Amino acid sequence: MRILLAEDDPLLGDGLRAGLRQLGFLVDWVRDGDAAERELRTQSYAAAVLDLGLPLKDGMEVLASIRRAGITLPVLVLTARDAVPDRIRGLDVGADDYVVKPIDLNELAARLRALVRRAHGQPQERLTVQGVALDPAARTVTQAGVLVTLSAREFDLLHALMLNAGRVLSREQLEQHLYSWGQEVESNAIEVHVHHLRRKLGSALIQTVRGVGYVLARELLKLP
Amino acid sequence: MRMPRSLQGRLLLLVLGLVVGVWLATATLTWIDVRHELDELLDSHLAQAAALLVVQQAAEIDDDHRGVDAPTLHRYAPKVAFQVFHEGTLAQRSSNAPAEPMLEFTGRAPDGFRTIAIGGTAWRVFATRGRERDVQVFVGEQVESRNSILWAVLRSSLGPMLLALPLLALAAWWAVRQGVAPLRLVGRALAQRSPQALQPIAVKGAPSEMTPMLDALNRLFERIADLLESERRFTADAAHELRTPIAAIRAQAQVALGAAADAERLHALQATLQGCDRAARLVEQLLILSRLESGAEHVLVAVDLAALARQVVADAAPLALGKRQGIEVDATEPCTVRGDATLLSVMIRNLVDNAIRYSPSGATVKLAVSNAQGVVELSLDDGGPGMSSDDMERLGKRFFRVVGSGQEGSGLGWSITRRIAAVHQAVVRVARSRSLGGLSVEIDFPGQRVA
Repeated sequence: MRILLAEDDPLLGDGLRAGLRQLGFLVDWVRDGDAAERELRTQSYAAAVLDLGLPLKDGMEVLASIRRAGITLPVLVLTARDAVPDRIRGLDVGADDYVVKPIDLNELAARLRALVRRAHGQPQERLTVQGVALDPAARTVTQAGVLVTLSAREFDLLHALMLNAGRVLSREQLEQHLYSWGQEVESNAIEVHVHHLRRKLGSALIQTVRGVGYVLARELLKLP
Repeated sequence: MRMPRSLQGRLLLLVLGLVVGVWLATATLTWIDVRHELDELLDSHLAQAAALLVVQQAAEIDDDHRGVDAPTLHRYAPKVAFQVFHEGTLAQRSSNAPAEPMLEFTGRAPDGFRTIAIGGTAWRVFATRGRERDVQVFVGEQVESRNSILWAVLRSSLGPMLLALPLLALAAWWAVRQGVAPLRLVGRALAQRSPQALQPIAVKGAPSEMTPMLDALNRLFERIADLLESERRFTADAAHELRTPIAAIRAQAQVALGAAADAERLHALQATLQGCDRAARLVEQLLILSRLESGAEHVLVAVDLAALARQVVADAAPLALGKRQGIEVDATEPCTVRGDATLLSVMIRNLVDNAIRYSPSGATVKLAVSNAQGVVELSLDDGGPGMSSDDMERLGKRFFRVVGSGQEGSGLGWSITRRIAAVHQAVVRVARSRSLGGLSVEIDFPGQRVA
């Protein structure tokens, strides 16, 4: 899951990035409000962690601005401002969650997963499609009760497809889910990962829509 | 006698004391006056009676007269007595008069008034004699009778006053109580206040004597409210500012715990330590700011700013050299200002630290202290990136907010610098450095004549 972290404090930003990476997130870290807004407008993130006291542009302004632009990704505001009016304003402007520093990294990760899940209309943490169950917190996948070992990228790819089950995702969209900045993306990387997933989970699970991308059907179509 | 502690008691005591004093004085004067008048009147009666007896005796003298006791005609008569002697022999006397002359004839015969004791009683006696000097007349009156009159006069004139005294005391007590009622009202209002209530106190119809006190009290409330508000804001801000470093320490520690690789763990642990140092520095700065904010009086003495500048640069030099920066100080001649050496030191250190931190490797930081026409100027130039005029503006206006720059500063340095400058009534100017291209900070200590 790729998220944007907007935090101007070097130590905290570094710690959050490292911690969230340990917990399986792909983290892009920006240190000012302008960069945060630019990234949110141009890149596709599963969610964003936004500090409010950002230089150049206040976090609240960034939030209001992207909401006006129709960007609906889940935003978790992480701030030192704990006054109730601040919280209310943050939520009203468009934050999906409002967390006061300091926060436990596991809790932050859980909140982010919950935000992403809800954004995709999933009430439960575990995603189950066609007998394949994915646990985002434990980062495990089981098929018919049997644990399937996946690489981190394969897991992220499957997670993205399962979250968007029934929707076709383009190769570019999938790449954005899988790679953070600076990571070299081989031109056929997605194809390779899809290939591996099909080998491990069966070829019928992920379907190719030629010229568009890939889709994971909600229900296995019974072919006559 | 000790004055009572209560104003009411004090007023009551004074009023009643004065009244009683005036009455006593009046009584004394009356006593003296009445006694004088009484003596005059009764003495004249004695003299008159004596004269009468002398005349009568001169008319009635015969050789064979015997001492005759005059009858007692009235119950008051025993209080007066007379004796008439003819050629040394008692001719007549009142029944209560002794046989011996009331006054002894020793040498010169007595004449005029005397007060003597006869049979243990004080008598006022008038002695005189006839023209032929053969008749001697004594008329006496008991002194006690005069005193009785005196007392009677005093009783009737001062008695009602004595009776009125308790009533007067009661009236005075009531009046004084009414008079000090506003004081009691204020006292009650203050006693009922909660410690948080610092709004001005208002007493309806407060007497003009109380207005200065109430005004002073309200001004005090105002100052306390301001102080409390600034304390409250400070505490909130401090807690707020400490959240980020603590969050960083926590995150880094958690990363270290969860790190799979040694390098990652090492990095996180070092970052944790760095976070602790930063939190400690922040606390230190908060404490300095809190001391500055508390409004305590700072003792300003003559301080050589040039010497302080040299010391600070000497201390900071290793840091600058570590970043391969050039650092220099131009402060040769003593420049005395009235100030607090510790605070000034903190201020200069903040400025120099900032310059070193924000300037890249290879840049120069230059501190100078000069004295021109009694104005001591401290200036700091650096070859760093400088600041946009917008940021300079914000630097001036912002208080206690992190100055966002990507650098790990608390943003308190500037607040502290400005506060310390304010304590010294110094003017701070921030501009682009003409000599080095980065930031230029000038602090003027105006009107500080060098002694």
